[in-house]
Amino acid sequence: MDSKQIIKIVSYSLGIISLVFFFWWLNANPTRDFEILEEGADNRGAGLEAQEVEIGEYFEQFATGYTELSETWPRFRGEDFDNISKSPVKLIDNFGNDSPRILWTKELGEGHSGAAIYEGLVYILDYNEEERADILRCYSLLDGKEMWVRGYNLNIKRNHGMSRTIPAITEDYILTMGPMCHVMCLDRETGDFLWGLDVAREYESEVPLWYTGQCPLIDEGKAIIATGGNALMVAVDMETGEKLWETPNPEGWKMSHSSVMPYTFGGRKMYVYSAIGALVGIASDGDDAGEILWQTTVWNHSVVAASPVCIPDGKIFMTAGYGAGGMLAELTENNGNYSIEIITKYAPREGLASEQQTPLYWNGHLFGILPKDGGPGRNQLVCVHPDNPQEMVWTSGSENRFGLGPYFIADGKMFILNDDGTLFIARPSTERYIEMDKVKVIENGHDAWAPFAIANGYLIMRDATNVVCIDLNI
Amino acid sequence: MENNSKSKNRREFIQSGVRLSLALALGGVGGLALSKVIEDDWVWQIDPFECTQCGRCATDCVMSPSAVKCVHAYDLCGYCDLCGGYLKPDANALSTAAENQLCPTAAIERKFIEEPYFEYHIIEDLCIGCAKCVKGCTSFGNGSLHLQIIHDICLNCNECSIARVCPSDAIKRVPASEAYKVKGDFTNNPES
Repeated sequence: MDSKQIIKIVSYSLGIISLVFFFWWLNANPTRDFEILEEGADNRGAGLEAQEVEIGEYFEQFATGYTELSETWPRFRGEDFDNISKSPVKLIDNFGNDSPRILWTKELGEGHSGAAIYEGLVYILDYNEEERADILRCYSLLDGKEMWVRGYNLNIKRNHGMSRTIPAITEDYILTMGPMCHVMCLDRETGDFLWGLDVAREYESEVPLWYTGQCPLIDEGKAIIATGGNALMVAVDMETGEKLWETPNPEGWKMSHSSVMPYTFGGRKMYVYSAIGALVGIASDGDDAGEILWQTTVWNHSVVAASPVCIPDGKIFMTAGYGAGGMLAELTENNGNYSIEIITKYAPREGLASEQQTPLYWNGHLFGILPKDGGPGRNQLVCVHPDNPQEMVWTSGSENRFGLGPYFIADGKMFILNDDGTLFIARPSTERYIEMDKVKVIENGHDAWAPFAIANGYLIMRDATNVVCIDLNI
Repeated sequence: MENNSKSKNRREFIQSGVRLSLALALGGVGGLALSKVIEDDWVWQIDPFECTQCGRCATDCVMSPSAVKCVHAYDLCGYCDLCGGYLKPDANALSTAAENQLCPTAAIERKFIEEPYFEYHIIEDLCIGCAKCVKGCTSFGNGSLHLQIIHDICLNCNECSIARVCPSDAIKRVPASEAYKVKGDFTNNPES
């Protein structure tokens, strides 16, 4: 074999090897070991079927006599939906060397449901784990004597608390909404059952994560419930339980933890609601009652706990947790037609945001506590102007951080509750954070997140398992 | 007789000296061995309450992937459907689909237990210690997911390269007998 033949053989061999390598390279899939992550790998169940519940079936009276008082805190965020008490009762601005005057304490099932107060009676929704029942408890405000309970059997499990809504009270009625969306209407004084509505069954609504957080609304003799599911919102006659109108929900927007806020703008009264899917305004009266006046799907987050803050000039502020942040929108009206324009929408570290509590609007400014993902300002009480919620007017500073607890204003003082049951008194200001005093009210307190209620100088607050009444009168 | 006695004494003296030396040597070796046994070594560990989830544990460890891994304190976990450590903030859906998962290496396994509970399990081999899940869990949950240095991976460098860059000084030397600072009372991490 001469050298030419050897070169030929080697050349052919190299050519064949190159060709084989080329085809192997073409066909090789570098991602062949990758695993496709698809939904369903967790073997999620089909969800629980709505339980057969006989709403209002259970009642027990324990006492009849109580001291009638003059003031009320009739619902979530109080009489005017602003979380500001207009009572002339003078309250302490510090605890001095004394311990807080705790009038009574009651143990409740794990939850975050706040109280409503009506002329000396306190109403609070509870879940009794032993009895497996949703229970509305009625206490005497002054001494904590339990007057009566009304409820119904329901099987639920702990899920970061169970009850988390506040009843709505009028002279005649009590309206509650339980963890699994059971609406119960009672006579206020006697606790007699009037009517019930199983929202999840009737409207095929999806119960929100960690159970219902929407506080029901009584407005002009109507129960207003944002149902999600087959209807977005419904109005029910308080006296008869008859449905007055239903808002269609073709987009399938879901119920959130946010509550419905009445708002009058451009001569129309409407109900503003932040559903999972959109922020909407629904006509409250007139021929088009129940129809959507305006909507924006720009505000679409999987968990919304805070309620819309409706400012008189047409601005609406929204915030939510779990990375959602905040949004400022402006409503305009033209010949009875409404449109909403988004002014700004931002991440939680970029401006005022809140995970659970609805910010306060006071003296032309918004106040709120930033969430844990709020960047360097996390957990600080902050003040912004609604023209630009991304610019801090002031923050409480890194030495004054709070949790997910409530804050409100009464007698010109701001009361703030920390997760561990520490109550702060601050002077509301648009210039700086002014702390006046603080005191630990609930020993070993945890998850003290329920909104406050106050009447006649008696403050009702709670942590996950204890409700406390404090006398704040001077 | 006197010479004989002197000679005997000398022998006895040498014998006693040898015995004493042997006893001292044995005692010394035994003492040294005992001190080795009872002496506590020092290892590096993260204080989960100081950790700010900056992400440097994933990038600055001499090991690749990092010796820092996420561990899960099951007794602190809320077993939530919407888990801030598993799902991206504002995820499209509460599902296991890749686009919803926060972990860049899919190192967290999600299992449905019963309504409404889900369990989350860390696949240690996939975890790179980036702390994204820890940040999510701390921000939105109970903080049951947290970082720990895993000692069968850690080289226990004299100068830990992540301790040098940790912005919150969360990495400290701890006695080897208490090598882990695990949150809660229970974890399924076998090393703890």
